Amino acid sequence: MRAVRAELAKLGTLPSVWLAAALALVVPTGIALLNRGVPGPDRGYQELAFGVMGVIVLGVVAVSSEYLTEGADAGGGRQLTTSLTAVPSRVRFLAAKAGAVVLVAVPLAFAATAATMAIVHVTLAERAAALDAGRLAGVVCYWTYTALLAFAITVLLRHGVVPLTVLLVNTSVVSVTFLLTKFTPLAYYFPDMAGMRMFVGRIGDDGVVIPPLLGLLVMSAWVAGLLVLAAAVFTRRDA
Amino acid sequence: MCSSRPVASLGGVITIDGLVKRRGGKEILAGVGFEARPGRVTGFLGPNGAGKSSTLRILLGLDRAHSGTALVDGVPYGRLADPVRTVGAVLDGSGAHRSRTGRAHLRWVARSAGLPPSRIDEVLALVGLTDAAGRRVGRYSLGMGRRLALATALLGDPSVLILDEPLNGLDPEGIRFVRTFLRERARSGRTVLLSSHLMGELAETVDDVVVIDHGRIVARGTLAEVTGTHRNLEDAFFALTSGSGR
Repeated sequence: MRAVRAELAKLGTLPSVWLAAALALVVPTGIALLNRGVPGPDRGYQELAFGVMGVIVLGVVAVSSEYLTEGADAGGGRQLTTSLTAVPSRVRFLAAKAGAVVLVAVPLAFAATAATMAIVHVTLAERAAALDAGRLAGVVCYWTYTALLAFAITVLLRHGVVPLTVLLVNTSVVSVTFLLTKFTPLAYYFPDMAGMRMFVGRIGDDGVVIPPLLGLLVMSAWVAGLLVLAAAVFTRRDA
Repeated sequence: MCSSRPVASLGGVITIDGLVKRRGGKEILAGVGFEARPGRVTGFLGPNGAGKSSTLRILLGLDRAHSGTALVDGVPYGRLADPVRTVGAVLDGSGAHRSRTGRAHLRWVARSAGLPPSRIDEVLALVGLTDAAGRRVGRYSLGMGRRLALATALLGDPSVLILDEPLNGLDPEGIRFVRTFLRERARSGRTVLLSSHLMGELAETVDDVVVIDHGRIVARGTLAEVTGTHRNLEDAFFALTSGSGR
């Protein structure tokens, strides 16, 4: 548990984590405000599906901050060497870091969901869809899983720029995984496309219908698989 | 030369034996072995690229050897019960993230080892960083970053200090500080192992010398033994490592 507390202390003193928290709250609530007055069964939930940017940043910077190299004139060091001399077990280190990411992502997801749904219900009044505990739990799960997905991919790549760019672009500007569903129905089983089914009823023209529980299982499998792969690679390679 | 009385209680013997490491088909360590003992400063000397950093990184469990062992008190680093209280390490730069303050960096390391927060102020004072503790590490000079790394290594008041090129980038005052400090650590019965490619700076600081060249140990012994018939350690070093392409 000491290792988890250390990882939480690291996250709390990293400015980009505070940026991540701000994004997590501002993006879904901001979109909800832009969409005010447009009723629909997925109002609020769609905003929260786009709003995962904050937890993507969280998952990426939690890892990329370890690999960030000081400039040559500052000695060219990396925090990772300090981390692994303090917590030599790679598995324990990675588990503590992932645990800390979850401990930050879950309350962020709760706060963003509460704020977004509050805006939807205030702006739409009786036209807003009734709150559904299962779907709300789906949002929290999707956000947490997305943070862990970003985390695992960054461990594999040891650098933040590529995963940050790809994952952020995919959720905001152009959803590559969504476009791929135009070519193959298998693309509906990408982690984001499947995971969204936990709380969003309709995605595009819906070539494939995935029930929420199957969506949960598919995304769980992606997250577990990538975390295991990340741990396997991380424990084998030189720091 | 400095002689030290042995102090048994603290432990902290470093034993390295038969380390082999290959990278990209090239053998960068070819059976490196030596010992560093408590109460003594051991200088691990060699030209750049000789294998000093690789050896120290394997000793700290950061890199993996293909064969051989590197032990502290008989166990590999990864199996030490309390690494921060046993070994302090100073590697490249500050080892801290540039957007965190020096104090925040020390705080998470202290937390990871369950050390009291009071240690943070103690080590900051020890290395003379108290006034800069609230500044972001990215604003530190090279020398300040090195002091922060030393403060981090000292948090757990460890019985072993391992330093990779601790004098690099330091001004004369910093060099003098580190030299005096390391001598005091050894005098109190602790083990100090430092690598360097600067011979002249080290002769007054080390008790024992290990010379590495092209991944092989070419000499080891007390300062007097390694210096031998040469005029000084620097001459001995160049004679031992001649032809290594400096």
